[in-house]
Amino acid sequence: MSRAFRMKKHWNKHAMIYIFLVPILVHFAIFQLFPILFSLYITFTDWPIIGDPQFIGLKNWIYFLSDEIAWKAIWNTILFSLYYIVPTMALGLCLALLINTGKKGTGFFKGIFFLPVVTSFVVISGIWAWLFKGTESGFINSFLGLFGIEPQLFLSDSLQAMMVLAGLSVFKVCGSTMIYYYAGLQSVPDEYYEAAKIDGASKWNIFWKITFPLLMPIHFYVAIITTIGSFQIFDSAFLLTSGGPNFSTTTIVYYLYQEGFTSLRLGYASVLAYILFFIVFGISLIQKKVLGKEVNYK
Amino acid sequence: MNKVSKWTYVPLAVFGILFIAPFLIMLCGSFLPMKVPSGNPFLWITEEKFSLSNFLYIVVNAKFMKWIINSLIITIIPVFSQMFFAAVLGYIFAKKEFPFKEVIFWIMMAVIMLPSQLLIIPRYIMFSDFGWINTYMPLIVPEIWGILGVFFVRQYMQTLPKDLEEAAHMDGANDFTVFFKIMLPMSKPVIATVGTFAFISNWNDLLTPLIFTTSEDMFPVTVGLASLLTKEGNFGVEMAGSVLSFIPTFIIFLFFQRYFVKGIALSGLK
Repeated sequence: MSRAFRMKKHWNKHAMIYIFLVPILVHFAIFQLFPILFSLYITFTDWPIIGDPQFIGLKNWIYFLSDEIAWKAIWNTILFSLYYIVPTMALGLCLALLINTGKKGTGFFKGIFFLPVVTSFVVISGIWAWLFKGTESGFINSFLGLFGIEPQLFLSDSLQAMMVLAGLSVFKVCGSTMIYYYAGLQSVPDEYYEAAKIDGASKWNIFWKITFPLLMPIHFYVAIITTIGSFQIFDSAFLLTSGGPNFSTTTIVYYLYQEGFTSLRLGYASVLAYILFFIVFGISLIQKKVLGKEVNYK
Repeated sequence: MNKVSKWTYVPLAVFGILFIAPFLIMLCGSFLPMKVPSGNPFLWITEEKFSLSNFLYIVVNAKFMKWIINSLIITIIPVFSQMFFAAVLGYIFAKKEFPFKEVIFWIMMAVIMLPSQLLIIPRYIMFSDFGWINTYMPLIVPEIWGILGVFFVRQYMQTLPKDLEEAAHMDGANDFTVFFKIMLPMSKPVIATVGTFAFISNWNDLLTPLIFTTSEDMFPVTVGLASLLTKEGNFGVEMAGSVLSFIPTFIIFLFFQRYFVKGIALSGLK
């Protein structure tokens, strides 16, 4: 075979790889790989947005250790997760059980429950801001008034603000949790239920002894993604409370945004990004260890 | 669980009302020409006059139409390019052989598992150097393909029987013919899923455009609406803006709901 012929054959076989994959690999290197490595370098610099970077070694990392607001932001984010993860999973499972009954019209309800998932945080936050207005004219407050409950401060109260944000996120996200559970419920073989029914098990027992344990892989998966999602919360804190009152809703990503783009400290903001990465990574490791065993339950 | 009593409809209806209510409030509020609405929506119907003045206001005064166009530009281009690259790369990773194929694929998958916030600051510095701030570039160029879409298509194409492509290759068809004539038409549903996901995530993204656009003329709808929310303080105007920015999402949702649900169930990885 001549060289030219071999080259032509090689080209025919690999043309698609050269034309499409190679440019995409270059794109990947420029826009994903390089920035990730670059951001590690940035953590060792003092880099105001305007002006040149200065290499300052570990100073940003050391500053982080004593930065009370950063630790508060981490604590706030943990608090948010506590308010958010279990309700999202529980509500998602409830909704999935309801639409899995196969009754007429469940498809319609599935659509309604799913609607917030596709809606932007900005739209939902706009409505939420008004619902949870901390004055008597706020919707929820005027509703509570009907029962003689005092108007609540909601978003301007440091204890309640985070709960309201978590409530917004539960509303926004539980539709997708529902879909995961729905897929899981549909894959449970009918024979299990039939056998249990013949044995005279109550519905309550069937749920706790059969359905719930069989969904273990789904619980595991949903727990991981909701936890990871909860640590990246930004939009609602930015839109509804701007991190306040008194830093009570300053989450890690919101603080990162503040440090980077309001205080213009790119080096320190990169440290916060890495802290977020370590936390998220740690959570997935722990969850894999703790919950991973139970996945084999089935 | 075949026999379920009709009492199932009670919780369904209660949850249904809870989930739809905010959207109805938004819709009603958008027609109310007032700054601070009464807390009791029932009074809206009896006491307030409905009008289109809010919609007129944001179309004329706020740069809303410009924001919609910006959003469309930074959404439509990535939607089509992501669908295309998901299809072609999915095909390459599912059916072609080349050195380090698996390694390359899983490095890409691993990198998207990192929190995307790690990318914000280095990209900001890069794009400032490129002179890309306040242009469409930072919102389009990094989004032209996505590994998750490639993953969907790859998974799907791996399940397609080999006989078809082999027969085509025997007949002298090259990879392009096999891809465009066989694989692409057979993968339409999964490619639609990729497109739906891309639309929703790009249309709704707030953080990225918040950082890379500073001039009002370059805002997409999310950032524009957020600026309305913080400075307007006019409920009716805010809700009118929300309705307008919600409409495209809702249309996509109505027509592609099935693909969306499929994608959520499929994404066993993200």
